[in-house]
Amino acid sequence: MTNQLAKKEIVVIGLGNLLLSDEGIGIHLIRKLSEHQDKFPSVEFIDAGTGGMNVLHLIANRKKAVIIDCVKMGKKPGTIKRFEPTDVQTTKKMTHFSLHEADILRIIELSRQLGECPDKIVIFGIEPKSLELGQKPSKTLSGRIDDYSIDICKELC
Amino acid sequence: MHNSLDINVHHITRVEGHGNIVVNVKNGKIEKLQWQVPEAPRFFEAMVRGHSYQDIQTIVSRICGICSITHSLAATKAVESALGIKVSEQADKLRILMHYSEQLQSHTLHVGYLAAPDFFGTPSVVPLVARAADAVKTIVKAHRIANNWSDLIAGRTTHPVTLIPGGLTRTPTEKQLRQLQQTLKDAVPDLKKIAEVVLSVAANIPKFERPTEYVSLKQTTPPTYTFYHGGVTSNDNKDAVVPIEKWHDVANEYMVEQSTAKWAKWHRDAYAVGALARFNNNAELLSPMAKDAAKMFGLQKGCCNPYMNTVAQLVECFHIVETSIDLIDQLLVRGLKTEKVISSPKAGKGAGCVEAPRGILFHEYEFDKNGKCVAADICIPTNQNHANIQKDFEKLLPEILDQSEKDIRLKLEMLVRAYDPCISCSTHFLNVQFVK
Repeated sequence: MTNQLAKKEIVVIGLGNLLLSDEGIGIHLIRKLSEHQDKFPSVEFIDAGTGGMNVLHLIANRKKAVIIDCVKMGKKPGTIKRFEPTDVQTTKKMTHFSLHEADILRIIELSRQLGECPDKIVIFGIEPKSLELGQKPSKTLSGRIDDYSIDICKELC
Repeated sequence: MHNSLDINVHHITRVEGHGNIVVNVKNGKIEKLQWQVPEAPRFFEAMVRGHSYQDIQTIVSRICGICSITHSLAATKAVESALGIKVSEQADKLRILMHYSEQLQSHTLHVGYLAAPDFFGTPSVVPLVARAADAVKTIVKAHRIANNWSDLIAGRTTHPVTLIPGGLTRTPTEKQLRQLQQTLKDAVPDLKKIAEVVLSVAANIPKFERPTEYVSLKQTTPPTYTFYHGGVTSNDNKDAVVPIEKWHDVANEYMVEQSTAKWAKWHRDAYAVGALARFNNNAELLSPMAKDAAKMFGLQKGCCNPYMNTVAQLVECFHIVETSIDLIDQLLVRGLKTEKVISSPKAGKGAGCVEAPRGILFHEYEFDKNGKCVAADICIPTNQNHANIQKDFEKLLPEILDQSEKDIRLKLEMLVRAYDPCISCSTHFLNVQFVK
């Protein structure tokens, strides 16, 4: 269909729920990064919301995918950590009752098994301070958005 | 037969909001059997108060990332009803086409990623690739077609941006519709492949029946297997069609202790909504390919096996594709026109009702003379199914109590999955431990 534009080689996907404070950090960051689109012509910045199975399609057949998400890593709140899917194992328990329940690491594995996984996937995880109802990230995270952006942009060069 | 049994499928915190299955059997007696929904409140009905009638569909599309188009459509119809806004025939047909894209998207997701692993005996879709790679690839392809279809008509896959009271902000070109039509024609063999794969494992669909009330939309003018227009019907009241403005008389929502989500009842103590409900009320109006698919699985009107809801969804996929091909012909014959949408605020109250992939959905809003929302009431299909899931559990468990704990647990979980519940889109953060 004509609305299928050629996919850019690199995709940066921000994930999160904007209604739960630091849970939305991926979305806040993607908005910040999108302001620099002209500096990264071969990069597509996508606000993928709460993700789900659609992430499978967003990363399919790209050269590189960068995923930004709130991640519980047991680190100090506000910590940003760059890692690759093979550096971690998921501890998320799934009941598979609802399609809202998704685990990005399992989706990446599915992409790999389908033979359409990007050559390189990098995840930027940010440890949350607060996951309470709220439309803004906590001060701990919001004060570091510029620093997070710099770290992520280095990945795109 | 178990003398003692404790099953607790407990996945949740208040924040993550899914569902718990609790089974306690002591000395052969079922002491507790509950489908619990400890879901966090979403506050959408409060959130929209004070907002303009023009913004309601945008806000409430966020209720769900999977049925966002459906919520937007129900809201838009309710706003138009409240303010007396008319919609052109072209816009109406394009909205139905938009709606179909989400039905296909959601059904393929459910059949492929949630239900198929059960039928194949794998814990999730990831290990299913090893056993049925072609089938998973075909499902992914169908899902992508549906996503691109939503992008074309709704502006994007999730949270549509082209819907406004009175019409649409963008009309696709005739070339784009022709391309979509060809894509759908080309997708038919893929759908048949998916159906054949599901048929190959259909013996694994549990055999369980419970006489049930099925509630869905019904359209008589013209007679249509409807997801969009019509009134509310039930197999308990076949010839009667309740106007959607009287939806409260259908849902009769009430609170229960075991669930933060309300329950619903109409003629019996519970009812079911969704694909099987639509099938049971309207099967004779399915498209030819859909009827063939139903025959393939032996699915007949009057089926009261909740596990067959997945098969009904697969049958509907054929109907959706075949009907959309025809709908595009209707649009192209008339020729597409760019339409200017004008609306103005006024006081009013109105209801909108559409079939979400998982069942009938009601939205109702009231506006003041400036078009600001003063009240909202939304009743989602999954809520309407909760009581029925509980009643199914109550009949099912005694029938399977002699099976292993693992099999009992699986059958209860499969039952919940068969309803394709759309339980809150709340948190989704990663939870990891480092191994390197």
